[in-house]
Formats: sequence, structure tokens, C-alpha cells
Amino acid sequence: MDASVLLALRDPAGVPFYPIIFQVLYILTWALHAAFVLLSLGSMGLSIYGATKGQSDSHWKKLTPHLIQTGKISISILIVLGVAPLLFTQVIYDPNWYVANTLSGMWVFIFIYTLVVGYSMYYWYYYANKAQKGGDYIIGIISFAILVFAGILMHNFAVTSIMPEQWMQMYAPNGVVDDSGWTFNVNILRLAFLVSLSIPVVGIFLQNYSRFLSTRDDFDKSYISYTAKLGTNIAIIGLLISAVAFVLWMLKIGYLLNPLSIAIIIGVLVLLYFSKMNKNSYITTLVLVVVALLISGMRELIRFDIMSNLGYSIYDYPVNLEIPTIAMFLLTFVVMGFTGVGYLLSMAWKVGKNEGIFDGTKDALVSKLGKYTLNIMVAWMVIYFGWGIVILFNNTL
Amino acid sequence: MDVIGQFPLFYFPDYGSAWMMGITGTIHILASHTSVGAAMLFAFLARKAYKENRTDYYPYMKKYGMFLLIFSYVIGSITGPGIWYTATAASPRGISALIHNFVWVWATEWVFFVYEVIGVFILVYFINKIDKKTHLQLTYTFALASVGTLALIIGIISFMMWPGTEAYYTTGSASDAFFGVNTFPHMFLRIGFMIMMSGVIGLLISSSMRKDNAELSYELSKKMGYISLFGGFVTLLSFIWYMGTLPQNAHAVFAFSKDAIIQNRIVLTVAFSLYFALAVFKPKMIHPAMATAMIFVILIGGLWSGEKLRESMRKPYVAGQYMYSNQIISRDVAGKGIKNELPIIAEKGLLALNPFVPKRLKVITTDNKLEAGKLLAKMACSNCHSLEKTGVFRPMKDRLVGMDKEGIKAILYTIGDGGMSYMPALKLPEAEYDAIAEYFASLKY
Repeated sequence: MDASVLLALRDPAGVPFYPIIFQVLYILTWALHAAFVLLSLGSMGLSIYGATKGQSDSHWKKLTPHLIQTGKISISILIVLGVAPLLFTQVIYDPNWYVANTLSGMWVFIFIYTLVVGYSMYYWYYYANKAQKGGDYIIGIISFAILVFAGILMHNFAVTSIMPEQWMQMYAPNGVVDDSGWTFNVNILRLAFLVSLSIPVVGIFLQNYSRFLSTRDDFDKSYISYTAKLGTNIAIIGLLISAVAFVLWMLKIGYLLNPLSIAIIIGVLVLLYFSKMNKNSYITTLVLVVVALLISGMRELIRFDIMSNLGYSIYDYPVNLEIPTIAMFLLTFVVMGFTGVGYLLSMAWKVGKNEGIFDGTKDALVSKLGKYTLNIMVAWMVIYFGWGIVILFNNTL
Repeated sequence: MDVIGQFPLFYFPDYGSAWMMGITGTIHILASHTSVGAAMLFAFLARKAYKENRTDYYPYMKKYGMFLLIFSYVIGSITGPGIWYTATAASPRGISALIHNFVWVWATEWVFFVYEVIGVFILVYFINKIDKKTHLQLTYTFALASVGTLALIIGIISFMMWPGTEAYYTTGSASDAFFGVNTFPHMFLRIGFMIMMSGVIGLLISSSMRKDNAELSYELSKKMGYISLFGGFVTLLSFIWYMGTLPQNAHAVFAFSKDAIIQNRIVLTVAFSLYFALAVFKPKMIHPAMATAMIFVILIGGLWSGEKLRESMRKPYVAGQYMYSNQIISRDVAGKGIKNELPIIAEKGLLALNPFVPKRLKVITTDNKLEAGKLLAKMACSNCHSLEKTGVFRPMKDRLVGMDKEGIKAILYTIGDGGMSYMPALKLPEAEYDAIAEYFASLKY
């Protein structure tokens, strides 16, 4: 695929802001999305192990439903967080995104309903585990397998999108057009590395879980120390597996000595040390966030290099500055987003720490954030309608 | 090299690829509209519960919330991006046009989504763990966030129909594109429907609570009946307002099936008015099986046909009255530097300009004429019509029945000259007209 074609596939409307901003937002939001993908995979997988133990082990009896609940919420969050990178990638890498989706059109359709079935079954697993009538782990395994398959399909779209030199051969092998949408590509090493990360992620999550509950009197000390130790062991084993998979992947594509790759390896070593010590898992989580951002950056670097080598640079995308809507986004993101999500998370944190009913009206932070969120949202609505009416009057009267 | 930015074609035999988007879209609308409606309903119920100290409302809200988690936040939240994905496969340039105009609007909607998704879990799971006043405040913000998502998506889907004024084409501004003449009517049409849906789903929940608390179940069924009636009334009024803001081509398509549509709407209005009246006056008669059946009636009788109609009325466009359904740009948008592709296609043809056409089909010969004709037919027609003799989705077999090559060609010329307002005025070189006509004629519909 030569540069003239790739450039022609860009949207003629141009991009509404500087491409680098979309690139940064993509890296940031993909890392967030991936964090919850990995947490859901890890917690789901571990919960199945717990479910097979049934009621026989007192620790797992408590832990399994919590892991199932974590997986359940994580899937919802990964879906909503996944919308953002999906959006930003389409703005600057539209040739890649649209070609991959049309070539794999049938898989795109199957992906959506795979996810619907897999996630619905996960709720079934949740209720079956709650009912404690046995056999719940079978539902869990099926749900897990379906959701992993959805993940593999998503991997297919990502991999196909960075194979521009083979697109024509995929679409019209030997010059005969194949519009069936069954194109499927897998990069085993890349997939293995990304999936393997779910192990250390759930390990570090367990360390956090243990630390968070350690202040609650209704959880006994042996349970707290058991989950902390379990988390440490899982994190260490997982990090070692991920490190090997990463090195193999980087070796295969010739990026092992790239500064970003080295930074990731150093990050993993730091994580290993912090996880093993488990002095403060919240700090370990911060390091994990940094490593996740580096991995997201590495994915982007690989794509950027592939496209640049073909003569397609996102930085040359024509810009049609669009000030009012970016102002709306930035203000909403910073003012409403941070206040609102801060409100919800601080409330969730305090409810989790609290035994009995949490009185938000007596908590200065929660009540203030709640009041601000409500006022900001009302103001947002007023501005929205005012803006719309002014535009309509201008354009129609 | 002259190239236009067309992507590979994805075609599902007998149906085409657009129906995939239609199915996903219809399911999503049911789930997402219920979600926004339920958010408003929660705020209403939470206020009543708090002000009148009706603690018995909380278990109902919890039950409704659990249903909502699966119905709207599993099915709805997956089919939302699902529309996007399937639209990408079926209509890549259409969705790209929307993304490149409205990326920041979508990004803003995402902020509301994040609030909504975290919020719904807190709202449902903490209902018994936080004080009532904090819960009430949370329901208010949740309702506003939900309405916010509607406020943001509505301008984008309204733009798909048309911006309504010339301003956007001159300025290229997303504000001019977003706040078109039918944005607000469309918004109120959907708000009405959302309120009605919250009542329809509410009836399922309230009627299934009979065994636990019969008195409360009847009281809530009655309330849901009133809410649904109110929502239905707003929907009807807004529908009339909305229809008055549609472009000429939409009315031309509407005229084809006006009688059937009006008949369908009258039947639905009467059936649902009776159902809601039953809930108000005889709440004991509302049974969960009946409530479930009515949800399916709305899905199939109301939403599927309604969304099909809305999609048809956009024809021949898919976005902003500048992007045809068959992925061709049909006019200049000076404000964005977008150029009309019709003149160059008329001169050089689709085969030469589409970068994904294999070299052996770039030039039509006697050997490849049928194959080239088939590919051209798919490129030009298959986004709206299935091509096979067994085609189902607006099939060609019904439109070209018994016609020979010359007859088909005459229709293609008429379309190319803009003789049918709901068809793309796509003029092609003679060789391409000839190849398409030969291919259709070879199928002997």
C-alpha cells in the first residue's frame, strides 16, 4: 500500500485539533482501558479457581464472590473506557481502523454479540455463585472462554490494522475480491504478552484489596494476610511470565533495545521488587500505571513506525481547528469529569471503609463534591441549551 | 494517481451489511432509552421516597436498578459501541465523516458515560449503605448525566439526517452542524419515548413484585401507567414537530409508505394507550408476562419499523447531506475543504478511482465485464439494496423484475441525472453503466 493511497484514505474533513493531542489521549485512554481488561480477565480467572473450591475453604468462600464482583464491574468499566481510544484512533489512523473493520466485517458483528453473550453469562455466573448450589464454575468457565474469544477478536482488529502492506492481498487474493469480512490475523507473541499481564494485575489488586480491608474489623487478620500473600505470589509469578513474553515479542520485532522497551523492562523490575516487598501496594499500583502507559506508548510507537515507513505521518494530517467543541470537551472533562468521578470514587472508598450506613451529609468532602457535581451539571445544561438556541437563531433568522 | 478515499467493501449476502447496524441499533435504542428514562424515574422516585419518607420505594428502585444493570449496562453499553463498529464495517466513510466533525462532542459524551457507569453501580449497590439525602443527590446527578448523554448524541444523529441550514457548509463548524433545525425536536421526541420506556419497564418490575408486596406493586403500576401516558403524549407531540423539520428527500421517501406508517402508529398508540390506562385503572390486571410481551411489541412494532423509517428517510445520504450511503462525497463543504467527488467519478469511473479495486478489474474488457459489473453494483448499490435473486433487504429483484439490459441502463441514466431524489445522483462512464446493467440483466430477476 503506497503513501498516496494511505493519504487518500484520510478523511477529507481533516482533524479538528493537533494530531499529537489525539495521539497522547489515545495512549492515555488505551492504558486505562487495558488496565480494566486485565483486571477483569485476572479476577474472573482467579474467581473460577475459587469457585471450584466451593465452600470448603473459608478464605476462598469470602474471596470468590468479591473477585466475581470485581470482574463484573471491571467489564462495564473497560467497555466505557474502551470508547475513548476507539474514538481517538479513528481520528488520526482512520485508514488503519476502517480497512481493518471492513476486512473483518463479519468478525466485527460476531464480536459485539460475543461480548453480549459472554457478559450476560457472567451475570448468570454471579447469581449462580451467590445461590451456592454448585456448578457455578462451569458457567464461569464458559463465560470466561467467550469473553477471552471476544478479546482475541479485538486483537485481530488491532493486528490487521497495522498490516497495511498486506491489506490488498487480504481483500483481493490473486486479484479476486473477497468481501466476506472473514479476515483474521493473530500475533501470538503480542497476544500472549498482553494477556499474561492479567496475572500481575490481579496479584497487585489482591495486595490492594488486602490493604484496603485491613482497617475493617469485620475481616479477620488471617484472611487479610492470606489475600496479601496470595497477591504477592501471583504478582511475582505473573511479572516473570510477562517479562519473558515481552522480551520474546520485542526480540521478534526488533525493538528490544529501543529506549521505551528498556524503560518497560526496568518498570517491570521495579514492580517485581515492590510487589515482593509489599510495603505499600498503593505505590506499587502507581508504578503499574506508569508501566501501563509505557506499554501503551510502545504499541503506539510500533504503529507509528510502520505507518511512517510507508510515508504516512499523523503529524501531517491537515488540521481544521474546531474551538467551541474542544472547549466543551476540555471544560467538561476537567471540571465535571474530575469533580464528578472524584465524588463517586470518594463516596465508594468511604462506604467501603465504613461498617453500617455511611452518612454522606456529615462527610465534608463527599457532601461538597456532591453539591459541586450537581451544580456543574445544571450549569452545563443551561450552557448547552443557551449555546444551541444562539446557533439556531443565528442560522435560521 | 487519481484516487478517492474508498475502503474495502464488506457485503453480507442476501441482506447487505447495513441490516447488521439496524439490528444492533434497534436493540441499543431500547436499552439506552430505557436507561435514560429510568435515570429520570429514579430521581422522581428518590425524591418522593425522601420527601414523603416512603422507605418502601427503595427495594423497588434496587430491583429496577439490578434489571437496569443487565438490560442497559450490559446489552446497552455493548450495543452502543456495537453500532459504531458495525457502522464502521458497513459505512466506513459515513462514520468517519461523523467522527471528524464531532470527535470532541463524542469525547464529551464519554465523560458523561464514565460518570453514568460508575454512578449506576454506586446507585444500585449502595442504596442500603448510604443515607437517603446523599442517595437523592446521587440520583439527581445520575439523571442529569444520563440526559447529558442524550443531549450530546442527539446533535450527531440529527446531523446524519441534515444540518438544516447552509451555515455548516460554509463554516465547517461543528456547532453549526450539531445544532441543526431538527436537533431539539428530535431530542424531545426521544425524551418522550424514554419517559414512556421507563414506565413500560417499570410495569414489568412493579407487576413482578406482587408476591412480596401486593399493595405497593399496584400503587407503583398505577404510577408507571401515568408516567407512560405522559411520555407517550410527549412522544406524539414531538413526532409531529420533528416531521416538520425534515428535508425534502425525507418527505419523498416518507410519502411512499405514509399510509402504512400512519396505520402502524395509530394501532400502536391505541394499543399502548389501552395498556397504560389498564395500569392506571386496573393495576391488578398487569401481569409480568403481559408487560414482557408489550416490551417486545415496542421493540418490533415500534422501534424496528421506526428506525428503519428514519434510516430510509435519510436516503440517499448517510451523513450531513454530503456523504452518500454508497460512500461517495456528493457536494463541496467549503468550510472543511471537502470536495465533491461526483465530477471525477463521472469522468474516470469508480473502478479507476477506488484504490482497493484489483488491477485486473481497473479496465473493463469483454472477459471481465460481468465480474466488474458485479463489483460496481456492490460498490454503488449494495449499501441499500441486496443484489441476489434471493435478496431480502430492499432487494433489486423487486425493482428490476423482468427488465432487460437496456431497461436497466435507462434507470441507471435517470438516477445518474438526479431524476430520483432519494437515489444518489451518481453519473458513471458509459462502460461502467454498461457493465452494471449487464450484470443485473444476467441475474434475470
